[in-house]
Amino acid sequence: MIKAVARRVAAGVVVLWAAATAAYLALLAAPGDIVDAIIGDGADTPQIRAQIIAEWNLDRPAIVQYLDYLLRAARGDLGRSYLLQRPVGEVIGEQILPTVQLALAAAVIGVVLALVLAVTTRHRWVRRVSSTAELMLVSTPPFLSGIVLLSVFSFRLGWFPVAGDQGWAALALPAVTLGLPIAGVLSQVLRDGLDRALDEPFAVTARSRGLTERAVLIRHALRHALIPAVTLLGWLTGVLIGGAVIIEQVFGRPGLGQVTLQAVGNGDMPVVLAVVVLAAAAFVVINTLADLAYLLIDPRLRRS
Amino acid sequence: MRRIRPAVVITVLALALTSACSPASSGAAGVPDAGQPVSGGSLTWAVETEPITFNPHQYAQAKARLLVWNTFEALLTHDGQGGYVPWLATGYDVSSDGKTYTFKLRTDVTFSDGEKFDAAAVKANIDQFLVEGYNPGVLAVQLRYLDKVEVVDPATVAFHLKQPDVLLLDFLSTPQGAQISPKSLKEAKNLKAGGPELAGTGPFVLDRYTAGQEVHFVRNPRYNWAPSTAKHQGPAYLDDITYRFLKESSVRVGALTSGQVQIVEGVPATDEALITANPQLTLSRGLNSGSAYSYYLNSANAPFDDLRVRQAFREAVDVDAVLDGVYRGTATRAWSVIGPTSPFYDKSLEKTYGGDAAEANRLLDEAGWTARDAEGFRVKDGRRLTVRLVQSAPFVRDRRDVLAQAVQAAVKQSAGIDLNVALVDQGTATQALADGAYEVFDNSRADTDAGAALGLLLHSGGAINRIGVKDPALDTAIEQGQASGDQAKRTEAYRQVQKFVITDQALVLPLYAPADQLAASVKVGGAGFEPTAGVPGSAYDIWLGK
Repeated sequence: MIKAVARRVAAGVVVLWAAATAAYLALLAAPGDIVDAIIGDGADTPQIRAQIIAEWNLDRPAIVQYLDYLLRAARGDLGRSYLLQRPVGEVIGEQILPTVQLALAAAVIGVVLALVLAVTTRHRWVRRVSSTAELMLVSTPPFLSGIVLLSVFSFRLGWFPVAGDQGWAALALPAVTLGLPIAGVLSQVLRDGLDRALDEPFAVTARSRGLTERAVLIRHALRHALIPAVTLLGWLTGVLIGGAVIIEQVFGRPGLGQVTLQAVGNGDMPVVLAVVVLAAAAFVVINTLADLAYLLIDPRLRRS
Repeated sequence: MRRIRPAVVITVLALALTSACSPASSGAAGVPDAGQPVSGGSLTWAVETEPITFNPHQYAQAKARLLVWNTFEALLTHDGQGGYVPWLATGYDVSSDGKTYTFKLRTDVTFSDGEKFDAAAVKANIDQFLVEGYNPGVLAVQLRYLDKVEVVDPATVAFHLKQPDVLLLDFLSTPQGAQISPKSLKEAKNLKAGGPELAGTGPFVLDRYTAGQEVHFVRNPRYNWAPSTAKHQGPAYLDDITYRFLKESSVRVGALTSGQVQIVEGVPATDEALITANPQLTLSRGLNSGSAYSYYLNSANAPFDDLRVRQAFREAVDVDAVLDGVYRGTATRAWSVIGPTSPFYDKSLEKTYGGDAAEANRLLDEAGWTARDAEGFRVKDGRRLTVRLVQSAPFVRDRRDVLAQAVQAAVKQSAGIDLNVALVDQGTATQALADGAYEVFDNSRADTDAGAALGLLLHSGGAINRIGVKDPALDTAIEQGQASGDQAKRTEAYRQVQKFVITDQALVLPLYAPADQLAASVKVGGAGFEPTAGVPGSAYDIWLGK
């Protein structure tokens, strides 16, 4: 048991290192150097460049800077943002909670909605209507659905405030916007899984024991249908992180998405690296949870 | 002729009188307005841009200016004609050699952390720029002629220069010249980022900043030193004010029409009708100071090393038609590199060039670009007539990317010129600039003194001279404009500069004068634009009608 946990942690650390290194190399290969990024569209003279290089220790070879970065990161020091002139840990620290709230709320909405849709729309034409609606949810860019939801529920009806992180009311629309495409994909996967499970011999056995169709569906088939859905958890993380960038922009919410967008656009290397490492860590954690979830859902896997 | 009945005359007169008596800010009849200024209330203001820093010394975004003046103040400010008005200074003297500027300071001013504002504070602020890495840009440009700052007595401070530089006055009236409490300069943990830990002398105090969401200011009750350009004296009217960062224009406008915010900054042309059609809302526009948004033609590279090709490029664009298509009649066309609100603007340049396709084609034929390739572009010696414009995405505003596409279509259609537009990240853009891999450079600057922009963009040693212009006569004219304190001499110097780059050398294609828009509920009174700068002003004079 301890061995298994240790192996998992070690693998996680390797993934984090690989992600940080890949991001570092990508930023190094990108056109324009750090001095260019710091200068932006401002005044540009050799004297200004020299001062920037001195301030940020940029005259050292790339490999030394990279090793220095790794060493400091290992000690928990993520450096200072070139653009915001503040410690990266502080910038990320104050922005992470709103993003986590948004992601969790969106995930809950997406999963619950998908379960409800998949289980309740079993009849032929209801199912066709639902399928079409789900396809629309998946293919609508969150930018557009966000603006539409805002226009109706905030600007016209005045039920929810538009801006910022102001309690649950302000979280509702962003979370729904981000949760809808998730519900669209998950419900289709779940429905496929249910169809397949209901054709299995065990479903026939259950029915023959006199169980109602609903009991067969919820108690037996759903459990089977969950396995492919859980496999999508990794994808879900990606959607949540990527979607947050757009949602936060549209709704004027604080969060990592806006920080990331600004950092990438301006070549703010320390912030980009920290966000990449954080996202990689989230992936590692969620994939571990997914592996545990398999064991919980499917008792057969526990024995092997 | 039919007799007009007296009743009609009386009605018309009465209507005329009532409308004449109502305050200028009111809208249509029957619509409530903000009434007389009253104290109290909280305002929410949606702005487009979140500042990357709240330290005024680090200021680099024209759109952040309206926030700076809530908390910080400068020694001087501008009147509506580009002249200087005392603010934290009561006046200044210039020595006859133009190398010493002596300021008398107000003695009744305190920073919001209780520190006294005096000559030592001014010196501490300027000396801060000498700290390595604090703001190398300001040190290399605005303060390059500064020798030292001397505290003569607590109420007198002298700036000694290495050579005459009238732009020092402009610097001391900009956010970068604003005064921060010396205590904050010493103790702030994140000095360059600014925020609640930096104290200023302004009418509001920044007490809360939530990155990505909003910044909040409360009234400074002790404030009593507004400049004469302000519309009132004493503390600000509003109790507190929240600026929300809403980057999407449609969301800003929606938040305003639904009453979630009372005033918004930045209304694109496509959304203006939503505001003007609503009697509960008002819309106002201010033209920015500084340089016009222009295409600078890189004379260091072929084919723009040929004057005729530069002239042809300018003739090939019908700027009015292009602006109308992109901005639906809301943009103000520029005719010079200097914006039309500047006292140095040369009005005689208007309608002297541009929009003549036949002339463009004649010039290109004369320059030898006679053949055409399969796509209809002009060719010479097997090379297509291609010019490249590289735009850095983080700095594109006012749909300048769309404008570039419209110009691209115009020059292709009217003269067979291939304008290659690339919208790229900042790193790629800077790389292209460093490699000289561009023929068109686009830029506008919001300097309150347009002379500062000319020195940076057109002097052979200018820090943003991207077009390889090196002309001794041009340099001399720019230097004269910067050295003299005499407005007539400066105007003449800058007239020569404009004549050289617009008329003689066709180095610049001016497009439009950048503007800012304010849309507000009719309940909001006193909102307006800063004199000369033309950007939205601070919240000092704003009140909320009951």
